[in-house]
Amino acid sequence: MCAFAVLTGVLFNFSIDTTTVRPNEVATGLIWMTLIFGGLLGVGRTFHLESQDGALQGILMSPAPKDAIFLGKLIANFVLLYVVSLLVLGVFGLFFGIDLGRNFGWVVFVLAIGSLGFVAVGTLFAAVAAGTHLRETLLPVLVFPLMVPMVIYGVGAMMPLVSGRPFTEVEGNVRMLGAFALAGVAAGAVLFRYVVED
Amino acid sequence: MTTAGMRRGGVVLTVLGLVGLIALYWMCFFWVSTEVNQGVVQRIFYVHVPAAWTSFLAIGFAALASGMYLWLRDDRLDRAALCAIEGGLVFATLVLTTGPLWGKIAWGTYWTWEPRLTLTLLLWFIFVGYIMVRNSTEDPDKGKRFAAVVAIIGAMDIPFIHLSVVWFRSLHPEPVVAKPDGPTLPGDMLVTLLFGVLVFSLLFFGLFLFRYAVEALRAEADLRARSTA
Repeated sequence: MCAFAVLTGVLFNFSIDTTTVRPNEVATGLIWMTLIFGGLLGVGRTFHLESQDGALQGILMSPAPKDAIFLGKLIANFVLLYVVSLLVLGVFGLFFGIDLGRNFGWVVFVLAIGSLGFVAVGTLFAAVAAGTHLRETLLPVLVFPLMVPMVIYGVGAMMPLVSGRPFTEVEGNVRMLGAFALAGVAAGAVLFRYVVED
Repeated sequence: MTTAGMRRGGVVLTVLGLVGLIALYWMCFFWVSTEVNQGVVQRIFYVHVPAAWTSFLAIGFAALASGMYLWLRDDRLDRAALCAIEGGLVFATLVLTTGPLWGKIAWGTYWTWEPRLTLTLLLWFIFVGYIMVRNSTEDPDKGKRFAAVVAIIGAMDIPFIHLSVVWFRSLHPEPVVAKPDGPTLPGDMLVTLLFGVLVFSLLFFGLFLFRYAVEALRAEADLRARSTA
């Protein structure tokens, strides 16, 4: 996933004409798209490790509550995606010449909420997709339509921050992003047991 | 209700709906007055808006039935959700075809990333996702559970999508009926619109009952095939 992030940055650099668009204006959108594509690769493999030798059945038969298993998976995915998103931020910052200045802390914070929102929905649907015979091909069909609010609020919050505007201007966006993430985590924790029961 | 009763109910509602549809078209083309700013093209509104309302009714209904299914595990609830989703897909497709036809004349372009249009497109994808998930498992019960989860999450996401796309940009005509200070639509237009909503709801529930009866018969046939085998 780290190599994916760096290489996406390189490819995006060639896919836009830097003489016609200001790179640091499109970079925010590209960072979020990289986050989503990379995240999809990551969450798609959530249940890959357990797919052999009936390991998933073993975990599900253990006395651990199902929502705890979901939250465990979610935390693991979150840490992975968050590390990658910070790397993406660094790589894109370097390639596109973004200077975050004093907003660095807020940008990192927004990325954390965005990653959480993505993995909440992504982990639940990874479990769904893993149970079908379409597997990973189904995941984008299910996840992308639901990710629209996250992209809109995420980019809406990050774009002004990257161009040096104060945090108070984007606070509403960040709140909505937080609400999305919380709703995703709560719904996932409740619905996960219905996905994995057998 | 028995399957035969369902079918009779479906026939009655669908016939009523079809008769109503003819009346609605008559009202659209001959009765209602032409809107001043947009002209004749505005008449598509009486098909477009009722179809949109119906498709949102469908996802709400499907999510409710799905939630109840996960709780009570009654196959009838799952069937109801599936039939609502299929009906919703039809009506969302109607919205997505009439919308651009109108948009080409009123906005000068078939497609813009306008909030309500975007919302309907995403709703359409949620319907498609539901059907895809349901049909891609070997174990039918698993497919039912997965699909129910998709319907619930999809319905939960709709307020978020709505808020975000409205916030993003708005070109769409503002609501003319569901407003805090009462509808601003002139009388005959409001009557035509509400009649359209009634007709489309009748059609939706008529088709829903038909579809439901088919699913019930299929379940019964499955059961019989299994008991003789």
